[in-house]
Amino acid sequence: MQDLLDAFIEPLTGIHFQKALIGAALSAIACGVVGSFIVLRRMAFLGDALSHAMLAGVTSGYLFMQMLFGYEAHAPAMIIGALLAGLVTVSAISFVSQVSRIKEDTAIGIMYTGIFALGGILASVFSDRIHIHLFDFVVGMVLAVEDGHLWMIASVCALVLCVVILFFRQLQITTFDPIMAASIGVPVVGVHYLLTACTSLVVVSAVPVVGVVLVVGLLITPAATAYLVTNRLRTMVIAAPVFGVLSVVVGLYLSSWIGNVAPGPMIVVVGTFQFIVLLCIAPRYGLIADWWRRYQLAPQTLLEDILGFIRDDGRQHVPLHEILAQIKSPQHMVRRAVRELQRQHLLKEDRQGIGFTDVGQHEARRLLRSHRLWETYLEHVGTPEAELHLTAHQLEHLHDENTVDYLDDKLGHPLRDPHGSEIPEDFIDLVPGATIKASLLRQGHQATVISVSGGRKDHPIQEETQITAGPRRGEGNLWTFVLPDGSLIELDHESADAVTVRLDNTGAS
Amino acid sequence: MNQSSKDNSDSSTNPAILVDNLTVSYGPVPALLDVSFKVPAGQLIGIIGPNGSGKSTLIKAILGFLKPDFGTVYLFGEPAAHAKGRVAYVPQRGSVDWDFPVSVQEVVLMGRYGHVPWWKNLGQQEWQLADDALEMVRMSHYRKRQIGELSGGQQQRVFMARAMAQGADILLLDEPFAGVDAATERAILDVLEQTKQAGKTLLVVHHDLTTAAEYFDALILLKQRLYAFGSPEAVLHRRLLSEVYEGSLRIFSDLSQTTKNS
Repeated sequence: MQDLLDAFIEPLTGIHFQKALIGAALSAIACGVVGSFIVLRRMAFLGDALSHAMLAGVTSGYLFMQMLFGYEAHAPAMIIGALLAGLVTVSAISFVSQVSRIKEDTAIGIMYTGIFALGGILASVFSDRIHIHLFDFVVGMVLAVEDGHLWMIASVCALVLCVVILFFRQLQITTFDPIMAASIGVPVVGVHYLLTACTSLVVVSAVPVVGVVLVVGLLITPAATAYLVTNRLRTMVIAAPVFGVLSVVVGLYLSSWIGNVAPGPMIVVVGTFQFIVLLCIAPRYGLIADWWRRYQLAPQTLLEDILGFIRDDGRQHVPLHEILAQIKSPQHMVRRAVRELQRQHLLKEDRQGIGFTDVGQHEARRLLRSHRLWETYLEHVGTPEAELHLTAHQLEHLHDENTVDYLDDKLGHPLRDPHGSEIPEDFIDLVPGATIKASLLRQGHQATVISVSGGRKDHPIQEETQITAGPRRGEGNLWTFVLPDGSLIELDHESADAVTVRLDNTGAS
Repeated sequence: MNQSSKDNSDSSTNPAILVDNLTVSYGPVPALLDVSFKVPAGQLIGIIGPNGSGKSTLIKAILGFLKPDFGTVYLFGEPAAHAKGRVAYVPQRGSVDWDFPVSVQEVVLMGRYGHVPWWKNLGQQEWQLADDALEMVRMSHYRKRQIGELSGGQQQRVFMARAMAQGADILLLDEPFAGVDAATERAILDVLEQTKQAGKTLLVVHHDLTTAAEYFDALILLKQRLYAFGSPEAVLHRRLLSEVYEGSLRIFSDLSQTTKNS
C-alpha cells in the first residue's frame, strides 16, 4: 500500500516533473477548448499545418535575436516568430485556394510542408549557431520545460479561455451556420481569424510538451473523445480539457515509472487509447451502445410478420403462446418484437391475449394490400405458382405508398389476387374529400367529377356530375359508373384515369 | 405616437421585398441583370430557374451580403444592407451538420443572438422568446433533443422557429424540399403554410417544376434576367419555360397538363 502511494508521490518530488505536469496540463486545457471548435469545423489538418510551420518561425526568431542582439534562445522572439510563421501559412493557404482551382486541403499540404522544409533548411544551415535540439522540437521536451515556457503556456491558456468564454456564442453560431451568422451581422471571417490565431497560440504552447508532430494529438484527440460523450457544445468544451489533462497525468506517470520513455509520445498514446476506449463504451455514440440498440431492435420484417399472423388468424385476441409457436423466429426475438409493436401502439395486450389497436388494424390491412398486389404482380410477370406466396411474402415488406400504388396502377387496379382473395382498396387515398382518379373507385363509391384531362370533348362524363361506381365488367378491366340520370357508362383503364374526382363517400364500407 | 404611426405606414404601404433594377456581377458577365420585382407581405413565393441562373445570388443580395453593381433591394422600405436580421435564412438541409452538439432549444436561441450585444449574457427574456417560438411550431416537447434525432419535417420546424425567434418578417429558404421523401415534403409544406398564416413573407428556392404550381402563391422565374413573376399559371408557361430551360423540354408536356387541371 505504502509502495503504491510512493509510486504516485515519488515523481512529484522532482522539480522537472512538477513543472512538466503543470505546463502539460495547462497546455492540454487550452488545446481541449480550442480543439473542440477545430473538430467541429473540420480544421484538424490546419492545426497540423500550423504546428509544422512553427519550426520555421521558431528558428527564424531564434536566429534573428541571436544574430542581431546576441540573445540565446530568446523565448518571446521565438514565440512571435512562430506566430508569424502561422500567419504566413494561413494566408498562403487561403491565397492559393482562392486564386486557383486547388482545393483547400491540397493548399494546406503544399504550404505547410514548404514552410516546414524551409525551417529545416534554416536549422541545418545554422546548426552551429542554434543550441536547441531539433529532436526535442519533434517529440517535445516536457521534462526540460523552463519557467519562461511555463509562463508562456499559462498566458496562452488564460488568453484562450477568455476568448472562448467571451465569444462563445459567436464561435458556436459561425461554426454551426455561418450564413445565418453573417445574416444577423456576426463577423464570420473575423471569428475565423480569431480562432486561427488561438490555434496558433495553442500550438505554440503545446510544442514544448509533445513536439510538432504530435501537437494535433493533443489538440483534437481529447476534443474528439469529448464529442463522443456529449450532445452539447458547452459540455464538450469542458469535457475536452478534462480528457486532455487526464492523458497528460497518466502519460507523465507512465513514462516516469517505465523510465527512458519520451513523455510526449506517451501522453499522446494515452490520449489515443482513451479515445478508443470511449469509442467502444461511450453511452450514446459508442460502438457497444450502437450494437446494443441494434440488438434490441426487432427486424421490421418480423414485426410485419407478426401483424400478418394476427390478421390472418382473424380472432380479436390471439394468445401470445400461439404467436410464439407459429412464427419461425427465435422466441426471444418474437417476444421483443411483440413488445416493440405494443410500444408503437400497434398491438395491445389484455387478459384474453394480444389484439390490434385501430392503428395496428390499419397497418395490417396496408400490409395485406401490399402482399396481395405483389402476388398479383408476380403472377403477371410469370412467376411459377408454387413460388408465388413465398416470394410475395418477402416482397410485401416493400410497402411504401408509392410502390404499392405503382403496382396497383400497372396491374389495372385488380380486385382479386391469383388465389381469388379480395385485394383491399386503396384506403389510404380513398378518404372522403380526397381528390383521386376515378379508376381507384370501387363498387358503391360515390364521387363528384372535378375535371376530365386531355381535353376529351367526347368523354361521356362531364364536370360537376356525381357518379356512383358500379361493378367492373369484362375481366375486371372495364369500369362502370352510374350517372345521376340513372344511365350507365363504361370506361377502360385509361379513360377512367383521365377522370379526376372528389370522393364523397365510400358507401357501405 | 409619431413612431408608431410611421411603423404602421411602413408595413402597410411598403412591400415586404422590393428589388429595384438589380444588377450584380462577379466578372464581365452579370449574375443578375436588371431584376425588378415587388413582393407584398404575407405571401409564399417560389424562385425557380435552371442551375447557375442567379438564384443564390438573389438570395445573397436580399440578405445584404453583396454590393450590387447597380440597383437596390429594399426590405419594408429599408435598404437590405441596413436591414441585417430582418431576413431569416433557413439553410439547405444538406449544408447543416446534423451531428453538431446542439439541442433544439439552443438552435432556436441562436435566433436571438443578433439582438444581444456580444458582451452580454442572454437574458431570461431571450430564453422565453425562444420557447415561445418553439411553442408556435409545436416543438416544445422536443426542446432538449439533439437536432439529428428529429425527423425531416421536425428539423424544418426547428429552423422555422429560429426564424420566428429572430423576429424576422421575411424568410429565405434554400431548397427546403431537396432530398426529402414525399411525407416529409408534405410536412414541410404544412409548416410553410402555417408560417405564412402567421403573416410572414416566404421566399423559397425550388427546383421541382411539377410541384411549383401547387405549392406557391406566385413564382419568380429567373435566369440572369427576370423572365417572369406572377401567378404560377402565368409563369409556368410552355413557351417561357422552354426559353429558360433550353433542351430540357421533356417534362413540360406533363407540366402543361397539370397546370391546365389546376
